[in-house]
Amino acid sequence: MIVTRKRLSLDAKYSILGAILIAPTILVFCTIIVYPLIAAIYLSLFSIYTPTMEGQWVGFDNYAQLLASGEFWRSLLNNIIWTAGTLSLQLVFGILVALMLHQNMLFRSLARSLILFPYFLSTVVAVLIWRWMFNDLYGVLNHLLMWAGILDMPVDWLGSMPNAMVSLIFIGAWKYFPFVVIVVLARLQSIPESLYEAATMDGAGRFARFIDITLPQLKDVLIVIILLRTIWDFKEFDLIYLLTGGGPIISTQTLPLMVYREAFALNQMGNASAVAVLMMLIMLVFMTLYLRKTED
Amino acid sequence: MAMRKKGSHKILYSIFGWTVVLLISFPLLWMILTSLKPQSELFLIPPSLLPSEITFEHYVRLIHETPFLTYLKNSIILAVGTTVVVVVIATLGAHSLVRFSYPGRKSLAVLVLYTYLLPSVVLIIPLYLLMVKVGLSNTLVSLIIAYTTFALPFALWLLRSFMAAIPADLEAAAMIDGATRMQAFFDVILPQAIPGIISTALFTAILAWNEYLFAMVLINNDEVRPLTTGIMSMLVSSFNIEWSLLMAASVMMSVPLIIVFAFLQKYLTRGFGAGAIKG
Repeated sequence: MIVTRKRLSLDAKYSILGAILIAPTILVFCTIIVYPLIAAIYLSLFSIYTPTMEGQWVGFDNYAQLLASGEFWRSLLNNIIWTAGTLSLQLVFGILVALMLHQNMLFRSLARSLILFPYFLSTVVAVLIWRWMFNDLYGVLNHLLMWAGILDMPVDWLGSMPNAMVSLIFIGAWKYFPFVVIVVLARLQSIPESLYEAATMDGAGRFARFIDITLPQLKDVLIVIILLRTIWDFKEFDLIYLLTGGGPIISTQTLPLMVYREAFALNQMGNASAVAVLMMLIMLVFMTLYLRKTED
Repeated sequence: MAMRKKGSHKILYSIFGWTVVLLISFPLLWMILTSLKPQSELFLIPPSLLPSEITFEHYVRLIHETPFLTYLKNSIILAVGTTVVVVVIATLGAHSLVRFSYPGRKSLAVLVLYTYLLPSVVLIIPLYLLMVKVGLSNTLVSLIIAYTTFALPFALWLLRSFMAAIPADLEAAAMIDGATRMQAFFDVILPQAIPGIISTALFTAILAWNEYLFAMVLINNDEVRPLTTGIMSMLVSSFNIEWSLLMAASVMMSVPLIIVFAFLQKYLTRGFGAGAIKG
């Protein structure tokens, strides 16, 4: 294809070679992604009791019941609050820290490594650390806040509302903002210095330069960051499940947690599949709208 | 920008910057400090910031009195197994997607992107049923297969952008010299792709090392439990939670990551560039 277009037989041979190279990928995709995906949609039309796996065709009843239940809408609302909250914090922290690291400071690469570290840290480890720091009796956070005179009594950070949701959003931001830092920092380093020099000569101050030059230059990268992080935060399971388990009661239960609870705690696999399928549809609609809106 | 005038500016700015950095890394520091404190010191009110004496007793207990080493072995097998399977399949697949033309190639690339963003909870129920049916539940193989569902789309996406950056002329030149396409792949493309492959392998290994949901659903036996669910079961099963032991386990679990950060970090940041910006 690259070298010769002369002989059609060679083109055909290359097509076959290309197909052979992609064959393992397609095989894996079909058996463990496409098949389960179709199976999930199919299962959502049944009522299935998990331990016996006995199913009964119910058509769209699962969906009708879900859309009429308060729990589904509550979980969706929680999901939106969590995603919007943690993503906003990630963006604000991320951009600020990226701007900070863009300046010349001592041991900058070590500072960058330390900032990046939480992103790659196992969620299990992150959750253990924060649960220990947030411990109501012996946790360091309560003691620091009481010592500083901000609190009179220890606060239950994860077991009561709205504290649980706020803590969740904050810890999510701590874990995932390095993604924003690294991507924004890479983009900042490629903005031509001459743009800033020209603006300075025109008398623009620091803040004006940020608004007029930096932000527009970051726009493309921010569009991609927001798309990816929205999707990743929306489908987050580990962090929420391990920190609050969706509690108190279902106050911090998002849709991924509802899928898990329906399938493995309430033993309703059909219902769980229906939640999963609805969740996927919501994400697809969001992606399509977002991409259409930001296309130009 | 105005900073470069004077050295004193830089010092002041560094103090400010490092205060922010240390605040953000405080939880990591607290993890290490807690793991080195004697158990009795944890329950002081108010808590002590630095340990009055440094002890490694929690690390010793972790290794001798808990199944930590079994979990560790399982996690290593999972990370290595998943990485080898995924990187081999994805390297061939990405090469095919970038350099060959055949019907359906474009839609396949779009499919890869969509599966890259697919939530694991959607696949977990059918995968669980599948594993039970073929008799693979409670095995490490079932987890490697499950991890492939998110690691392969990710690896393909990353490698595709890395390999697209390799100039097409290189392959053409090799073939003018008489190499077949596969020879050109092994002799020219593959060596050029090594940095991208290392990035992809590191990301894949970290994803597998950190995975929790599939391990919780598919594994119900201490013998084959990886570190993530293993350490959490240590938290849940104990009468009174031994935080210093858990923090020691957390530190141990993060050691591979610290090693990667110390020696191979450029491959991680390079992966961000390829996977996230061009996405």
